[in-house]
Amino acid sequence: MNIIEVKNVSKSFGSKQVLDGLHLGVPTGSIFGFVGGNGAGKTTTMKLILGLEETTRGDIFVGGEKVTFGNTKTNRITGYLSDVPEFYPYMSAEEYLTFCGEITGLKKAEQKQRIKETLALVGLEGNKKRIKGFSRGMKQRLGIAQAMLNNPELLICDEPTSALDPEGRNEFLELLASLKGKMTILFSTHILGDVERICDYVGILDEGKLKVSSSIEELKQTYAKPQIELFFDEVANFSALAAELNALKEQGVITEVEKINKRNQVIISYNKDYAETAAALLESLIAKKTMPISLRKMNPSLESIFLEVIQ
Amino acid sequence: MKNIYYFSKKEFLESWRTSKLFIVMIFFLILGIMNPLIAILTPDIIEISFGGALPVNIPEPSSLDSWGQFYQSMTQMGLIVITLLFSGTMSGEVSKGTLVNLVTKGLKRSTVVISKSIYLILQWTLCMFLAFFVTWVYTLYYFTDDNSPHVFLAVLPLWIFGILLVTAILLTSTISRNSYEGLLLTGGFVVLLFIVNIFDKLKHYNPITLTSENINFLQGTSSLGNYMPAMLISISLSLLFLYLSIVILNKKKL
Amino acid sequence: MNGISFLMDHLPLLIPLIILQFTLMITALVHVIKHPNYRFGTKGMWIFIVVILQLIGPVFYFVFGKGDNE
Repeated sequence: MNIIEVKNVSKSFGSKQVLDGLHLGVPTGSIFGFVGGNGAGKTTTMKLILGLEETTRGDIFVGGEKVTFGNTKTNRITGYLSDVPEFYPYMSAEEYLTFCGEITGLKKAEQKQRIKETLALVGLEGNKKRIKGFSRGMKQRLGIAQAMLNNPELLICDEPTSALDPEGRNEFLELLASLKGKMTILFSTHILGDVERICDYVGILDEGKLKVSSSIEELKQTYAKPQIELFFDEVANFSALAAELNALKEQGVITEVEKINKRNQVIISYNKDYAETAAALLESLIAKKTMPISLRKMNPSLESIFLEVIQ
Repeated sequence: MKNIYYFSKKEFLESWRTSKLFIVMIFFLILGIMNPLIAILTPDIIEISFGGALPVNIPEPSSLDSWGQFYQSMTQMGLIVITLLFSGTMSGEVSKGTLVNLVTKGLKRSTVVISKSIYLILQWTLCMFLAFFVTWVYTLYYFTDDNSPHVFLAVLPLWIFGILLVTAILLTSTISRNSYEGLLLTGGFVVLLFIVNIFDKLKHYNPITLTSENINFLQGTSSLGNYMPAMLISISLSLLFLYLSIVILNKKKL
Repeated sequence: MNGISFLMDHLPLLIPLIILQFTLMITALVHVIKHPNYRFGTKGMWIFIVVILQLIGPVFYFVFGKGDNE
């Protein structure tokens, strides 16, 4: 079951096309990382899901219900944290959440309880200051409190960590991770480390299209080729080395050789067992007396996958 | 429906905490006191500025002078101050993005418009009657003539024009990107009404006459019934402005 | 014209008027001093406007001078 279904959605601002036939499904209960460079259309996609922008073409469904521009009913089950959440500066955090609770239609008793809970969750309990005196991080935390106030089934966060300092980012990611199982979370970011840490699904958006959408495990299996990285010093005989490596390639020990000359670095792809490949590689290097400064087994990182995908 | 109450309540809180409510109330109280005072002082001021050189006798001021002053100050200062203070009411929320959190919580955009109009109308009513009652009480105390029999009837058209003005403020604020643009558009709307006023035939239809004929209504020399079209047009325009505000806000990017 | 008797006659008007004017000015003045982030202009300029332009000065400050988040 997908809580969000984006079906063939296009969006243009004037002549500029931001989304081009986007398909996106977010599985219920997942933490879905939405990745893409600046201007890839992440914010636009989220705004479309929330009915804050109108699609040029295509339909979006949230919880099986169609999203309509302007006043969409699907917002009942969603909570939204915008990239720069804005509040009424003359209210205190508690007053603001009370107002939000009233707007959402929470019952009085439940409202008090929820406000207490969410304020405690984000560490703003007992803070009587007006919001105008809040720091950026405090505003972000109040933002998550207001997004979660009505216990949404779906939480949408737009670049929630980009404005936070490393400590705040860490706290925030832990908070999101702790919500797993309670709600579906869709969050956008350009920090791939964040996604790797807490997400179980990832979507990579590039040039208005979803290039990849799968679980992280699957993604790593499909995209990340096993690789070994070798470093040599300046005096290494590269022509001999190249001949040797090509020979290994023909024998089928390795599959690909990529030489990055400037840094005296060679990246080798293989499809056999690591120990076997590394042994064969070292043997031939010893035979040629070209010793690397380092040999490293490369773990597939989301970063390398991302770069590969958007090429 | 409940959300209209909650959002209007927020508007009052906003106005109070940003000192606007306090300022505007004090301002209108001052206007209320100034009216009879200016009426009393005017003959003295004329005498002082012309010395004894003025051959004609200056008539004793009456309640009509006090009320005349009231209608002058309400239109020349009161309405302008209301326009100045509230011309950013919608554009401010849209440009800052404060509505995003609320709309994504299911707040209807039409609720925002209706709540704001309720707030603005209540605000105007409160202000106008503050000034009105202060002027009224002092006028009764200082002027014992009976030249002004229809005080309530005379103020009704002004009140209706004020409602038209605040809905115009709301609409222009919804259209524009900031309070200055809104101010300009509201000004343009009033100028337009003055231009229409050049045509004497349209006098009974033009809302602006609701602010210029009050002294005649007060004395009973002009029948309010004749200006019913202007009042009806004002109310219809107000409703149209509200409708347009909703339509425009519905299409706005927040 | 007898100045004293004039004043006495109009005390019911003058006293509240002076109090209100003063309240308006003090409210604006306190705000100007406590919140030094203006949309434009300097503290000195706004103090001058609020004090010298009776009635309209404080209103001008709250409309044009007061910073957005103050």
